[in-house]
Amino acid sequence: MFRKVLIANRGEIAVRVIRALREMGIASVAVYSDADRRSLHVRRADEAEHVGGSPSDDSYLRIDRVLDAARKHGADAIHPGYGFLSENAEFAAACAAQGVTFIGPPPEAISALGSKTEARKLALRVGVPVVPGTEEPLGGLHDAQQAARRIGYPVMLKAAAGGGGKGMRRVDSEAELEPALRDASSEAQRSFGSDEIYLEKLLINPRHIEIQLIGDLHGNTIHLGERECSLQRRHQKVLEECPSPLVAEHPELRHEMGAAALKLARAAGYVNAGTAEFLVDGDGRFYFLEMNTRLQVEHPVTEWVTGLDLVHLQLRIAAGEPLGIRQSDVKWQGAAIECRICAEDPEYGFFPSPGHIVHLAEPAGPGVRVDSGVYSGWDIPLEYDPLLAKLTVHGPDRDAAIARARRAIDEYAITGVTTNLRFFRDLLRDEEFISGRLHTGFIEEFLARRPRHEPNSHYDVLAAVVAAMHTRDTEPERTDHLHGSRWVSEGRRRMLR
Amino acid sequence: MKWSVTVDSRVVKVDLTALPDLQEVEPGVYSLVQDGQSYEIRVAHVNGAHQVDVAGRRLIVDATDPHRAAPRRRSEGPQNIAAAMPGKVIRVLVKEGDAVETGQGLVVVEAMKMQNEVQSPRAARVMKVAAKVGATVAAGEVLVTIE
Repeated sequence: MFRKVLIANRGEIAVRVIRALREMGIASVAVYSDADRRSLHVRRADEAEHVGGSPSDDSYLRIDRVLDAARKHGADAIHPGYGFLSENAEFAAACAAQGVTFIGPPPEAISALGSKTEARKLALRVGVPVVPGTEEPLGGLHDAQQAARRIGYPVMLKAAAGGGGKGMRRVDSEAELEPALRDASSEAQRSFGSDEIYLEKLLINPRHIEIQLIGDLHGNTIHLGERECSLQRRHQKVLEECPSPLVAEHPELRHEMGAAALKLARAAGYVNAGTAEFLVDGDGRFYFLEMNTRLQVEHPVTEWVTGLDLVHLQLRIAAGEPLGIRQSDVKWQGAAIECRICAEDPEYGFFPSPGHIVHLAEPAGPGVRVDSGVYSGWDIPLEYDPLLAKLTVHGPDRDAAIARARRAIDEYAITGVTTNLRFFRDLLRDEEFISGRLHTGFIEEFLARRPRHEPNSHYDVLAAVVAAMHTRDTEPERTDHLHGSRWVSEGRRRMLR
Repeated sequence: MKWSVTVDSRVVKVDLTALPDLQEVEPGVYSLVQDGQSYEIRVAHVNGAHQVDVAGRRLIVDATDPHRAAPRRRSEGPQNIAAAMPGKVIRVLVKEGDAVETGQGLVVVEAMKMQNEVQSPRAARVMKVAAKVGATVAAGEVLVTIE
C-alpha cells in the first residue's frame, strides 16, 4: 500500500480523499493555489504545497508543478479527484513516467473512452446501444428521408460542425423534413461555414441514468448499480439518487445497463472507478452517452446503498490489490439522495454567489452525511465552481430518504452568501418529484411551478426585531467614552431587553 | 423608541422590547420561545443590509438605529451603478461621455465561470467609469456613475 498520496484537487473532493487516506493510515499532501491558502483541504491535509496562482490553469491544471510537488514531498501516488486533471491522459502518462501511481485508469483507457466520438465508436463495435443517428453527414433530402424512416420520428437535425443550438431543427414528420433540412443547412452554413447536417433520434424528456463501474488490475470488473441524475440544469447535475425510481419499477434495467457498461469497460481495458452515462426513454430503452473515467461527484449515493467505500477501493486497486468482491456480493440496500449545495442564487438565474460565510451549521443525525469543503468565516473564492458541499442521506426507501433530506436541509444553515438550500427545501416537497417521474427537463418545469412564499407579517416582525437588535449590538460604540466601559453599556442593554 | 425597519421592501415598525425572551445563543443566531413555539433566527450583515433566515425563508432587512439615522436625501442627480455580487471585471463596454439607453450593458463581471452584464437602469450619459478590466470588485462596489 502507498505511504503518501498527493491529492491534485481542491474543495470537498480533496477533503473526501484526505479522509479515506487517514482511515487507511496513509499520509496526505494537499496542493493549493493563491486563492486556496485558507481552504479546508489545506487545513485537513498532513502536508501541503503551493502550486501557483488562483486561475486553475496556473495551478491545479499545471502538470509540471503538481508532479514537482509529488516529487518534493515523496508522494508515491496521486489522486486526481474529479475535474481538473482527472480525465487527462497526458497527466496519467506523465505520472507513470515519473514513477508515481495515477489513481485511475491507464492513459490508453482514458483516451479510448474519454472522447465522446471514440467512445461512441467503441459502443457500436461491442453492441452497446447509442442514440440512433447517421454516422456520416446527410447526402441530401432522399438520404435524410431514408435515415429518418429507419430511425423513426421525431428526429433532430444537427449541424455536423456545430453546437449551441445553431443549425438544429426538430422534425416530427416526413412532411416537415424538407423545409427543416433547408433551414438547418443554411443556418449551419452561416454559423459554421459548413452546411453538413446529420440526423439523430430525438428523445423527448429522457432520463439520465448512469452506472458505476469498478475494476482491478487482475481482470475483475463489476458494476455497482445505477444513479439517477435526471435533475439537471444547464447540464449541471442538481440532485442524484439511487435506486433510480425507474429501476425501482423495472429491476431488470439495472442488470441490463450494468451488463452494457461492463462490455464497454472490458473492451477498453478499463481499470479503477468509472461511470457510464446513459439516456433512457419512456419505454425503458437506454442509449450510451459517454464514459467518465474518474470518481463522480455523486459517488456517495452509491456508497450509501452498497455499503462500499469507493475511495478506499480506488486506493487498493491502484496499489495492485485484487477487488475482493464479486458481482454477486454487491447488494443494494434502501435509498439514497444527494443534494449539491452550491453558492448560487436560484432567484437570479442560479448566478454564482461567492462571498464570506458568516455562519455555518451542518446537519447531522441518523442517515445523514455531509461532504463539505467550507467552514464558517471562510471566503469562497471567485475562481472555482460554486459547489460548497454535498448533502447525502440514506433511508430504508425513497420516501424515507426524501423525508430525511427535508429534515437535513431544514437543519442546514449557511449565512452571509446566497445558496440553493431554499430551492431544495421546495424541490423536496414537490409532488412530481415525490412521484419519481423525473426527466432531464424536470428542473425547468419545476422552476415555473415553484411555490411563491407570500409575505408573513409574523416572520417580518421577528426578522425586523432581530435585525434591529443585531444592528444595535454590533454597531461601533458611540457612547463608550461618555459612559465608561463597554461592560456598563452591555449591562444597560441587558436591562432594556 | 420604535425602529422603522424595511423587510423585503415592506416597512415594519417594531419596539426592541417586543420579544423579551429573544436570546442570542450563538453569534448571529437567535432563539425565541413565543406562545410555546420555538424559533431559530439567523442574521448576517452583508453589503449594508441584514440577511435574516427564519422558518426556511430568507428576508433582506434594512434596520437603521433611530438614534443615529441621518435624514435621507432623495435627489435626481448622478446615480452610482454597483456590482450586484463580487467578481472580476472582464469587459468595460462604455466610456465617459457615452450616451446609454435603458438596459444597455455597461460592464461585464465574471464570477465562478459565469458572466453577468451590469446594465443601465435608465437612459443617461456616463459620467465616470470606475471599473477597470481585470480588477476584482466587491458586491456593492461602484462600477459606473451615470448622470
